[in-house]
Amino acid sequence: MLNTRPMSKLLIVASKDQLDGIVRELYRHHVFHIEDFVETEEEGYEGVKIGMPLPQASAVSTELLRIRSIINAIGAAPSDVVPEQKEPVSALSARIDAELPHIEAEISELVDRRNRLEAAIRVCETKIAELEPFVPVQVDLSLLRGYDQFSVLSGHIPANVELPVPAETYFSGEVSGNLLIAIVPKDRLNEAELFLFEAGFQSVSIPDEEGLAKDRIAWYTQEISRFQAEMEQIDEQVNTRKDKHQAFLAACDELLTAEAERAEAPLRFATTDTTFVAEGWVPEENVEALISALRSVTGGRVFITEQDFDPVNESVPIEYENPDFSKPTEMLMDVYSRPQYTELDPTLLIAVVFPIFFGYILGDVGYGLVLLAMSLGLRKVITNDAGEKLLKVIRNASISSIIFGLLYSEFLGFALPWEPIGINRHLSIGGEAHGEGPDVVLMLVISVWAGILHITLGRLIHIRNARRMIKPGKHQNQVVFGQAGWILVMWGILFILWSLVEIPLMPAFTGLPPIVAGMNIATLLGAVMLVAGIAGIGQENSLELLELPTVISHTLSYARLAAVGISSVAIAMVTNFIAIDMLIEPAMEEISLVGVILIVAGLVVFLLGHTLNTALGLLGGGLHSIRLHYVEFFTKFYLGRGKKYDPFGMIRKFTED
Amino acid sequence: MAVEVMTLEVAEASAKGLVAIGAGLAVGMAGLATAIAQYGIGTAAVGATAENKDIFGLVLVLTVIPETIVIFGLVVALLLLF
Repeated sequence: MLNTRPMSKLLIVASKDQLDGIVRELYRHHVFHIEDFVETEEEGYEGVKIGMPLPQASAVSTELLRIRSIINAIGAAPSDVVPEQKEPVSALSARIDAELPHIEAEISELVDRRNRLEAAIRVCETKIAELEPFVPVQVDLSLLRGYDQFSVLSGHIPANVELPVPAETYFSGEVSGNLLIAIVPKDRLNEAELFLFEAGFQSVSIPDEEGLAKDRIAWYTQEISRFQAEMEQIDEQVNTRKDKHQAFLAACDELLTAEAERAEAPLRFATTDTTFVAEGWVPEENVEALISALRSVTGGRVFITEQDFDPVNESVPIEYENPDFSKPTEMLMDVYSRPQYTELDPTLLIAVVFPIFFGYILGDVGYGLVLLAMSLGLRKVITNDAGEKLLKVIRNASISSIIFGLLYSEFLGFALPWEPIGINRHLSIGGEAHGEGPDVVLMLVISVWAGILHITLGRLIHIRNARRMIKPGKHQNQVVFGQAGWILVMWGILFILWSLVEIPLMPAFTGLPPIVAGMNIATLLGAVMLVAGIAGIGQENSLELLELPTVISHTLSYARLAAVGISSVAIAMVTNFIAIDMLIEPAMEEISLVGVILIVAGLVVFLLGHTLNTALGLLGGGLHSIRLHYVEFFTKFYLGRGKKYDPFGMIRKFTED
Repeated sequence: MAVEVMTLEVAEASAKGLVAIGAGLAVGMAGLATAIAQYGIGTAAVGATAENKDIFGLVLVLTVIPETIVIFGLVVALLLLF
């Protein structure tokens, strides 16, 4: 529960002729996390090399490439296909041989036709772009070329000009950049060109077309729409093919991916000329089943041994082991980092504390219900693993939000028909007094208490981790005393504080009789704890003493629980005040046209304000709660950087043996 | 020009106003400071995450560290107001 799943390290040695059977069996069981073999020059490793892929590897890869290109061409997504029934591998293999070439030909023909049409459309578009400058010209375009004695110049020019050579010109300002066509005698061409160049002339070639430019454009546009209609037909055909074949293609993809992974597995093993060695990790509970399966598939011609390993220094792959309740929270852990093998897995602690923090911040029945509905509704849309977990985390958090909302007596910033139980967060907005105003100090003190306990718990976990992860001896003692030092410093400061001022909800030692120099027993005790704590921290690492102020800043950082929550209440109440007290209510007294507009405006403000506040509440409540875990809690003990347990094999959706 | 008379009510009202201004300054300036701090860290964090997705958790932590400043501002403001 608070540990990760116990692992065993297995070493599998067999002769190479068993390779295929063993790989197949390992893949089927889907529990063996392969430790990749790295070639070394070390003594004892002579002649040991990384293995070669199984002989079928390249054929399978080619086949897989074909399948993937078809899947791509028809725009199917295997992950979205809902499998109807699992198909036996042998039947599927036969179908691949029989049906795939046919499907491939059919689809590649469609894709080719589509590509040709696309190219044709592009050609038409280029033609239209070339013709566009000539739209104002009311002359057959064929008349603008093919003269022996004359040259035709056409192009854009900033303004009309008078050519210094005898010329027939046409100018139009109707197109962007203007159009100038000049027909000049061939022997004066250079002169004309030079003049035009100086006038800012940009030549445009005359389209190789017959007829009026306008008509040609109309014709090409018609062609484009004809091609597009044809393309739509093809798309439709592709879609019918997609619906018909995508389940089959997804199954092929799965089968071949599995085969390719199996064929390439030896690349991760160590091999000699005749044998291979596979090293990897298996959850303890699966070891026996795997070993007996491997023995039976090879007829006993395999050597398997469970190896001893150093749980602290070896990078053991990490698989969580959590009760169902805290499983979704694993996602929040993965965002940060997986725990190491021997350290405490804090997932369960987060699963409990995170919703409480969230509810304490966003304690509102209305927002809670909205978020709850959202997390349940989005379950159909978001189907990937991390997304589902996140939705479950939000669901738990929103339930906690509803419970706190009932205590706070809040519904979208309105009061519920009962008085708040314990803590009052109702503000006085718009001059209306709601009771005695919010219990800000009370909330702050509760927040700080949460911080004190949370941080102390973090330090205690560090001590527990140190005792498990560091060999007993001087170093372990240093760490343990160091962490105890931090706890002492924090509680020492608290004792001194409590003996100086009275704080609600906290012990008051101000009344104790003074013993020495005006200091009472609590002050003295606090001072002793403080000094002892500083000594404890200093003996571990004197540089850590620089971090002493974090004792206060980290504890006070929990005050955000109260502060963010009250600001969320304030936004909700301000929204209600503007929407109802300022806009809707005055308009309701006397119904008029302006009044109706005001009512609509009020509703818009109400909806916008509360939508914004729901989003802010989710962000504020979620991010601040998780941040308190990541920054204030985890920095006290958590190492992380655990390697994810990624067993060899796959969860099969479409195929079965 | 009318001579303003400082009555008790006026004094109390202006004291209340000054408290509100103080609370506003506490949140506003702390917010600015947080923004300045997060601006640099956030830019670097996004860049680093683009290079290597695995460090998202770590950079998120680094990015939110300055948030404490504005929370302190908010706490001070709330204590001033209530």
